[in-house]
This record gives sequence, structure tokens and C-alpha cells, in this order.
Amino acid sequence: MKAKKAINGFFFSFMLVALINCSQKEEKQQTNWKEASWEKIEASSENTEVNFMMWQGSPVMNNYINNYVIPALKEKYKIDLKISSGQGPEIVQLLMNEKQAASDQGQIDMVWINGETFFQLRKIEGLYGPFVQQLPNAEYIDFDDPFISIDFQQNINNMEAPWGISQFAFVYDSAKVANPPKNLTALTAFVKANPGTFTISNDFSGMTLLKAFLAELGGSPNSLDGSFDQQKYDTLSNQLWQWINENKQYFWKEGSTFPKEHSRMDQMFASGELLLSYGFAEGGIEEKVIQGLFPKTTRGYAWKNGTVLNSNYLGITYNAKNIAGALTVINFLLSPEAQLKKADPGGANANTVLDMDKLPEEWQKKFQTITTRQYGPSLDELRTHAIKEPAPEYMLKLYEDFRTHVIEK
Amino acid sequence: MKISEPMLLKNRGNIGILLFFGVIIMPFAIAFLYALLYSFGLVGILNDGFTIAYWLTVLSAPQLGYSFLYSALIAAVSVIFSVGLSLFTVLYLKKALNKPFINFMLYMPLAIPGIVSAFFTYQLFARTGFFSRLSYQLGIITEAASFPDLINDQFAFGIILTFISLLAPFFILFYLNLYKNENLEALERVAISLGANPKLATLKVSLPILLKKSQTVVLLYFIFLLGAYEVPLILGQESPQMLSVLILQELRQFDLNKIPEGYTMAVIYTSVVSLITFFIFRSQKNKVIHG
Repeated sequence: MKAKKAINGFFFSFMLVALINCSQKEEKQQTNWKEASWEKIEASSENTEVNFMMWQGSPVMNNYINNYVIPALKEKYKIDLKISSGQGPEIVQLLMNEKQAASDQGQIDMVWINGETFFQLRKIEGLYGPFVQQLPNAEYIDFDDPFISIDFQQNINNMEAPWGISQFAFVYDSAKVANPPKNLTALTAFVKANPGTFTISNDFSGMTLLKAFLAELGGSPNSLDGSFDQQKYDTLSNQLWQWINENKQYFWKEGSTFPKEHSRMDQMFASGELLLSYGFAEGGIEEKVIQGLFPKTTRGYAWKNGTVLNSNYLGITYNAKNIAGALTVINFLLSPEAQLKKADPGGANANTVLDMDKLPEEWQKKFQTITTRQYGPSLDELRTHAIKEPAPEYMLKLYEDFRTHVIEK
Repeated sequence: MKISEPMLLKNRGNIGILLFFGVIIMPFAIAFLYALLYSFGLVGILNDGFTIAYWLTVLSAPQLGYSFLYSALIAAVSVIFSVGLSLFTVLYLKKALNKPFINFMLYMPLAIPGIVSAFFTYQLFARTGFFSRLSYQLGIITEAASFPDLINDQFAFGIILTFISLLAPFFILFYLNLYKNENLEALERVAISLGANPKLATLKVSLPILLKKSQTVVLLYFIFLLGAYEVPLILGQESPQMLSVLILQELRQFDLNKIPEGYTMAVIYTSVVSLITFFIFRSQKNKVIHG
């Protein structure tokens, strides 16, 4: 261990001198923000810069951030919100490197993450907290809702603030498919009748689909609840690989390969190459129809046994330079005002994490005025078929075994 | 004080070496050392100290070997086709190459990045792409699925085609310059005046010289393609994968405890490629000394 520490020390002091120390180090913040009053936090965040790393793959979300959040923060708190592009792996890699370099002044202050990244960041202790209980707007969130307070079967323990909630849904074109499949038996018949029009992306979305299949094979929406069960996984995954290998000849490209990323599936669905797709945010149908990517006859639905319903969160990095600023920004993003704007079906179209019963009446009324989606299903319609995100080990195993038992076979 | 000219030249040479060392060699050496230490568990916040477990895992699995073989085959086929096409064009169609429009068309692909070329190939040759739609309109196929599988396919058609489209223009210009600089036209004329037939003069005089003079460049391009990333990422299959795609996938995987396996692969790949490069240059040097 000593040798390792010495090597680490040498290597990173060298790297730091060579690469990082070009910029002047700012004075380390000494304030204990966990004990500070909210007034002090807000006052300290004035005229500061907050660096936010987020996935920038959604034009409507980018529009929400650039044309609403950034100006509003500037006006209300004189905060300069800087966005940098990056999602799960980039965030984890960046924080791992900073941790390795013992950097106490990180490049980013806050991050937008999902359960997969939360699990990884918890593992490397890359998050600051607990902090959520300090946010005044947290009072509008129902933390008794397990779909909010439990992320990948881990209690969030105030280490991340819920920002949005969405359900995984199947997507089909009602003009081409009259009765889309809602269970594995029906899917078998569907792929045989429509060869080449279904596939599984080898990424987070594809693995989430496999979790829905595993839960169905387990016999109930709750079959994967609780901590990881190796024996259960072995039994169910063997059945799953058998089903896929028996039927992959009817998949896209006869199952000889699988798309690396889900975004590719959207293109193939749009061009008609695929008849069945899926995705988070209730399939993300509204946005893609409005963009003109998907036809207006596109519809979405949940698997009969259920699809994963989960929240996405905002976290503060363990070495954030501006903790007070990040707390203020996150609190604003959880405000009824910001959440209402984010829920606009013609805009970001994201479900609010706020509990209507906890909101003041005036805000309840405002949320009721939100128009319903024209094309995609609402979260309320799907929620009756919701399953919880299983323990992270299921995802670890599915990634590895999908490659060895299906892709490389 | 007046500085003599040889001293100025010497200083310039030293600065050049320093710059080369500082800008190219040192960052590469640091990155390699970091990857090496990571692969043995000596750095990395989730590593517990020295271990050869990651090396044993990588070396005992067939994945990296397949990937090497697959990448080498794709790189070799692409380079051979590009060189063949370029030589044919330069030796037999060189008059046409002097026309301004064709000359411009040759330079244009050099300005297109690999990732853009990959998208072009996808848009043209995918089952829902331009040629598939054209075939459908012409009644050659009855549905998109009947169009040959040319993208993300097992024979890496899309990857090879894109590599050729990127490499061939470069090689044509390279051989064209070589042809002029080596004065091959004059040599061919001499051969013809001595009784050789024109076709034989091209095959027996110009072709061997062009091939010999371009050996190093061809081998370097082979190594360059071996490590290509964007093109196989867009147009390749999920298994086997080309080396860079495989290594990056391992480095970015969900299971953080397996990241050192990605570094191990990177170290093996870098070592193999560095060794090949070293032997290429050593053999070239020997040829210069003994030749």
C-alpha cells in the first residue's frame, strides 16, 4: 500500500504540475455549508459561477437550460451557470481522475445523473452530501415514494436531489402495427411475423429492457425487488438468454449484431427499419414527433408485467468549488416555477418530481393547466405497470452476460 | 556578440529535439506509464495494490486476440485496395489526373474527416440508405430487407469502403508526386527506346520503384488503420470489434472494477504497435546503410 501511495503521489504531483497547475488555485472554501443557514448559502452564491455537467443530447432540454434556467438564475441570484457536456461515463472518469490526483478544487460543481451513475459515484465516493434536506424546495417532494427515495435499490440518503421522473416505455407506429406485443410470448409471435424489425441496444436502454424481461420471467412486477440474488439471477437470465438466442434469427440483422447505442434505434424506427422501439421518458415520443423525427401515428405503452419507473437526479461533486452556488441552483431547479416550465409538453416535456398534494394551491392550479400530450402516453397512464429499478448488480451482470451469452455467441 | 551560423543551426536542432521530446514523447510516455501502473493495480482509486490478475484475465480471454486479427485484416484489405487503386490510377490514368476538375476532386476527400465519411457511407449503403431506396424505386428489390447487408455487417464492408475512400486520394497524390520526383516517365521512355513494350515498361520499371519507395508509408497507414476509432464505431459490429472500439468500451464500462482490464489492453496494443513501428524503421535504416 505504501508503494502504491508513493507511486500515486509521484505520478500525480507530476501530472498536476505539468497539466493542471497552469491555472491559479483558488482559495479553498472553509465554510461548512452543511451547518450554514439557507440565507447565508443564497447570499454567498451571488455573483459566483456554477459549473454544471449534463447530458446535452436533448434539444428541448438544452433549450430549457439555455433559454430559461440560465437567464433566470442570472436575474434572481446573479449566478453564472456554465454548462459542460458529459454524462455517466464522462462524469465518473473525470471524478475518478480528480480523486486520484487528490484535487480538492474540481472542474465541475454539480451533475445530472441517473441510478447507474449514482451507483458508480457512490462507489468512488464522488458525491458531496448529504444536502437535499437543506433545500427549501425539498418540502414539495414526497420522499416516501420509493420511486424517488430509492435509486437502484439504494436509499438516496439525501446525497442526490430528484429532478425528474420517467418510465421506460415501448414505442410503435399505430399506422403499421395494430396490436403491439406486451409480453414475451406476444413478442415471440411479433418478431416471427415481422422479422428484422426488433433489436436490443447494447447500452443502458437495452439493459433496462432486459430487466423488464427478467422481471416477467420472474413472474411478477416485484420479482427483482430487494438486494441482488445470484441464484435468482442465474435462473432467470438463463431463461432470458435461451429466449433471445432462440429468437434472435428474427431480430434486426438476424441477431448477428446489435446497435451500440439507443439513439441509433430512434433513427431506424424513424426510417421504418424497426417497427418496435423503446426508451425512457415514456418513450420520448412527444419530443420526437414534434421534431418531425417520428410519425404522428407513433404511440407508446408499458409492458404488461411492467417497465422500470425511476427518477433522475442532481448531485454535487465531492470537490465542488462552489457548493453554495450548486445548492442554490439545485434548489431553484426544484422550485414549482422551474418544474412547471420543465413540464411544458411543447418544451422539455419532463414529469415533475413535485408532489401536487404538498404544493400551495396556486401552484397546484398552474400544474393542472398543463396540456396533455398529443402523441405519447402520460406517466399516470403507464404508472400502473411500473417496476422498481433492480439492484445495480443485475445491471452489471446483464451487461457482461449479454455480451458473452448473446453478442459473442 | 555575434553568433556563428553553425551554432545557430545547432541550437535550432536542439530546440527541435526538445520540442519533439516535450510535445510528443513525454506525454506519450507518461500516458503509457500511467496505463501500465493502472493495469498492475498500482494506481486507480479502486485498486488495492500490485496484482497481475487483470493481465491474466485479458490474456486468457480470446476477445483481444480476435480483435487484433479482425483489425489487422480490415487494415490490410483497406490498405491493399487503396494502394492498388491508386497505383492503377497513377500509372494508367495519369493524363486525366492533370485536369483541374479531377485534381480538385482528388484533394476534396482529404478535407473530409473520418467520422463524416462514415456517416456518408451509412447514408448511402444502409438498408434504408440512398442505394437501397434507389434499388426499390427501380424495382430491383421489393423491400428494404432484400438490400445487401453492407453496414454493421460481418465482412466490415462499410468500414473497408470508408477507409478506401479516405486513403485512396492520399495515395494517388503521393504516387503522382513520387512518379514525377523519381522521373519515372523518363525511365519508362528509356526502357521503351531500348525495346520494351510500353505496358511492360510500366510494370517492370515504374511499379517496382513506386512500391519500394512507398513501403514505409504503406506500413504506417496500416498501423494507423489498426487503431482507427470513429469509422468502426459507426459502421462496425458489436463483435468482433476493432481494437480502439474494444479498448474504449472496456475503459468506459459500468463495472468500475474492470476498468484496469481496459488499461491492460491499451498497454498490450501500444506495445505491439510500437514494436512493429520500431522494426519497420530499423529495417528501413539498415536498407539505407547496406543498400
